[in-house]
Amino acid sequence: MILDRLSREIEALVFASDSPLTISELCELTGSGEDSVEQALQRIEVSFSEQQHALNIVEVAGGYRLATEEEFGPVLSQLFEGQKPGKLSRAALETLAVVAYSQPCTRTAIDSVRGVNCDSAIRTLLERDMIRISGRRETPGRPLLYSTTSVFLEYFGLADIDHLPRVEEITELLGMSSSELEERDLFGGAPQEPDPGE
Amino acid sequence: MSAEAAASRPPVSCRILLDSFEGPLDLLLYLIRRDELDITEIPVSHVADQYLKYIRDAKNLNINVASEYLVMAATLTSIKSRSLLPTHRYGDEDPEDPVAELRRQLILYRAFREIARELQQSEDTWRDIYISRGERERWSDDRMEVEPGQATLLDLLRALESLSEESDETLPGQTIQRRQLTITECIDSLERAILPGRSVSFRTVLGRNPSRNLVISYFVTLLELMKRGWIACRQAYPFAEITLERTERWTLDS
Repeated sequence: MILDRLSREIEALVFASDSPLTISELCELTGSGEDSVEQALQRIEVSFSEQQHALNIVEVAGGYRLATEEEFGPVLSQLFEGQKPGKLSRAALETLAVVAYSQPCTRTAIDSVRGVNCDSAIRTLLERDMIRISGRRETPGRPLLYSTTSVFLEYFGLADIDHLPRVEEITELLGMSSSELEERDLFGGAPQEPDPGE
Repeated sequence: MSAEAAASRPPVSCRILLDSFEGPLDLLLYLIRRDELDITEIPVSHVADQYLKYIRDAKNLNINVASEYLVMAATLTSIKSRSLLPTHRYGDEDPEDPVAELRRQLILYRAFREIARELQQSEDTWRDIYISRGERERWSDDRMEVEPGQATLLDLLRALESLSEESDETLPGQTIQRRQLTITECIDSLERAILPGRSVSFRTVLGRNPSRNLVISYFVTLLELMKRGWIACRQAYPFAEITLERTERWTLDS
């Protein structure tokens, strides 16, 4: 397949950009409509795989990037021997999962879901830029709030935070429990039906 | 391995057994799955027994790790004991159900544990994928302007770290010596200050503008001398001037 001008422009932009480019940024930079940009992106993808290139265009951390194919991992890792940080521990992964689905959230919230103290896992994740301190909750003690970063999205190849695995199921689970808890707090243990008369 | 070596080997501690778990909830889920129980209808009494047995084998628990496991042990024991007692219901009041709360915790934790596993799979895949970083190094000023309030503590620590890596110079240092005043020295000077047959006020002994250190040293010395019975102290009322006088024992003992 011979690529058209727009596809090649997009390819060049994605190659040179230091951050992932979104569809709307690509529209603006190329002066084209959303539909044609999306179609052009598809054509690039097809062209890469047809010609068996080691690269492809991927959507990650909110935009498009050029990335190598997974199978070249072993050969490429030689370039970065001793520089790549180790894999995340189970504690860190679990902590990260809790932060990702319930952000912004406090340390206490993470601790209570995992049933253990998560201090060291949080520290590791902060050091590796997977999470950041995104504010304070305006409750007594003003505890710190944690959120995930774009490094997190890129590390796990997630297009954006809505593309987390089974996001609806988990959000429902979280919502259910929190409403239960809320009712328990408000009414001292007896969940009450909302008064339809109000 | 010889029988002797096997005997001298420390018993397998539960710490090792617990190390493979990410906390009490993880251990509970393991026990529930091992005994093929239904998470929605946990026979608490059975699970509590299994859990406590597991914890009881722990001889060398790290206290930080242990506390979390022990809290769960206490919760389970409390739930079990409550289930053995007859329940009284007052009116239609619905008491807080600790089993339901535990079940909720387990279901929630199990969900996140699965998510963590999925994340781990993505990690495995994406560690082998290399993404082009663009031309930042060449054309962008890496020393990006930081808006006030944007830099985090971690940023500052990193900046400090890179700074200390750059400079080989060590910071200029100065050694400060602490002047020590011993009780013996104080006794010596008190011997000169309190003459036999005369009384002296504590304030006079200290001199003008005494340092806090000096006041404390001399006061401790006074206590020591009183214990030995070498001096007599008089004070009219609290916080009033203290008058010091030698006793005969000072001369006799020393």
